[in-house]
Amino acid sequence: MSAAATTGTYSPAASAGEKRRERKEELRRHLAEDADWPRADGRSFHDCRPAFMQTGPTTAASGSAYAEFGKTKVIVSVFGPRESKKTMMYSDTGRLNCNVSYTTFATPIRGQGTDNKEYSAMLHKALEGAVMLHTFPKTTVDVFALVLESGGSDLPIIISCASLALADAGIMMYDLVTSVSVSCFGKNIIIDPTSDEEAWQDGSLMVAYMPARKEITQLTLTGEWSDGKITNAVELCMDACTKLCDILRERLKDASSLAE
Amino acid sequence: MRDLQLSLNQTQKVRLDAALHELQTIAPASTSAAAVSVADTIPVNDEDNILKGHGTSDQDGEVVATLCGVVERVNKLVYVRTLRARYKPEVGDIIVGRVIELAPKRWRLEINFSQDAVLMLSSMNLPDGIQRRRTAVDELNMRSIFEENDVICAEVRGFQHDGSLHLQARSQKYGKLERGQLLIVPAYLVKRRKQHFHHLEQYDADLILGCNGFIWVGEHVVVGQNINIMEDKPSLSAEVENFTPLETRRHICRLGNAVRVLSALGFTLTAELIIETAEASVSSNFEINDMLGAEFYVQTAQREAKRRADLLRKKSGTM
Repeated sequence: MSAAATTGTYSPAASAGEKRRERKEELRRHLAEDADWPRADGRSFHDCRPAFMQTGPTTAASGSAYAEFGKTKVIVSVFGPRESKKTMMYSDTGRLNCNVSYTTFATPIRGQGTDNKEYSAMLHKALEGAVMLHTFPKTTVDVFALVLESGGSDLPIIISCASLALADAGIMMYDLVTSVSVSCFGKNIIIDPTSDEEAWQDGSLMVAYMPARKEITQLTLTGEWSDGKITNAVELCMDACTKLCDILRERLKDASSLAE
Repeated sequence: MRDLQLSLNQTQKVRLDAALHELQTIAPASTSAAAVSVADTIPVNDEDNILKGHGTSDQDGEVVATLCGVVERVNKLVYVRTLRARYKPEVGDIIVGRVIELAPKRWRLEINFSQDAVLMLSSMNLPDGIQRRRTAVDELNMRSIFEENDVICAEVRGFQHDGSLHLQARSQKYGKLERGQLLIVPAYLVKRRKQHFHHLEQYDADLILGCNGFIWVGEHVVVGQNINIMEDKPSLSAEVENFTPLETRRHICRLGNAVRVLSALGFTLTAELIIETAEASVSSNFEINDMLGAEFYVQTAQREAKRRADLLRKKSGTM
């Protein structure tokens, strides 16, 4: 009887979720010591995750791009320029309409794939400085970003991916925008944080940068920072952005030589 | 090229790669060198005062690209030609478009431009062919001329001061297109030519290469016959006339598939090339549906590579 009961019922393995808890525990321990520690994915503090980017995943869009940085996977589609809706007011310059949404399976906790209003607004801010809106009056460019999997530094990756998609769509821009974020842990600065690291950070900084023009389109600073560290962090971000931009450029060159 | 998703077997892959590689080597070296992406510096001679054209801007005294594409130079003018942007109309272009809306005295058309094109009732020939003022009755009967989702052919008349695009259809050859296929390809694959209307007699079909990348393949229509269709008299003889024979339908599908193959491979579309491709499919016994299979793609690429190589040889031979 008791034997039958044991085979009929089942319980989750005791080690389920153990690994993630362990990683978090380790991070907390390191933070308490405030010393150097190895990051979960084996990077050093100033290493970015390997970037994989590609143009043209969505054939129906005017331009599109896919980016994969570690576990973060993003797809951005650009539509237009197309005529603005009648209900909108007349405007001499073009409109940029940005929308960031998450899939239902993007985060470990299953949620509803909702639009992220905050990210949408920030994406718009980061891109509007780079796109030459005056070249397409009365029309709208739609930028739709979909986060397939959220693994930290989502917004910077969305911004970089969106600028690649805009360039792919043949929309006039002053320069490509790339974006990188850093997290602050006590006295340490960690570049390109994962979602675990983002959960424990003291402060974060995100920079959207146009490398060829040496202009920053957006800078977001949250949390606790000391004065000297901010300058250091901004410089770190800008350098990383420049290097990321080279990758974007390479991708665009590949695409254009293929189209020949 | 990027839309190409084929399941090639090993030998087909090798053959396609070889053909594409040959095409790349034939292409003049300057074209690949002239490819720029956003914010690349375009090298220019400082002494000759150049004109900065579309897709360029000035930054610290240097000419910088604002688009991805190929640098083109015409005398002093330097501009960037994009490969994947929307269609940029020029006055006199022949375009094919789809009606999306009826507005007072005008139709709005989707033509792959950044805005909708406008065809005014006053800038087209009425079906009865008489030159007269457009009355309120004509305005009410606009739906009998073109309805929503009709495919029509027209000519670019010009731009209004606010940048909107006006079309005209002041000839019998323009108007509604029926009984055929509309194919949408990237606009850069259609070059501006003297002739955009082609009557392919051997197929009894019409081919219209719209400058906006909309291509129409349909049954041949005798100019002037449209008038009869417009009259609302459904009779038996008209029905027989409107019937497209199966043979013609097959030809239309074959031509349509030829356009699909060529555009997927990224070859510039000309009537000659389309006919050649369709004929090649007949001579090598491809069924119409097999034309979209991997083997025909490979053969088309190989044929085009050979054709261009021959052309190059002939040119160097005469020189």
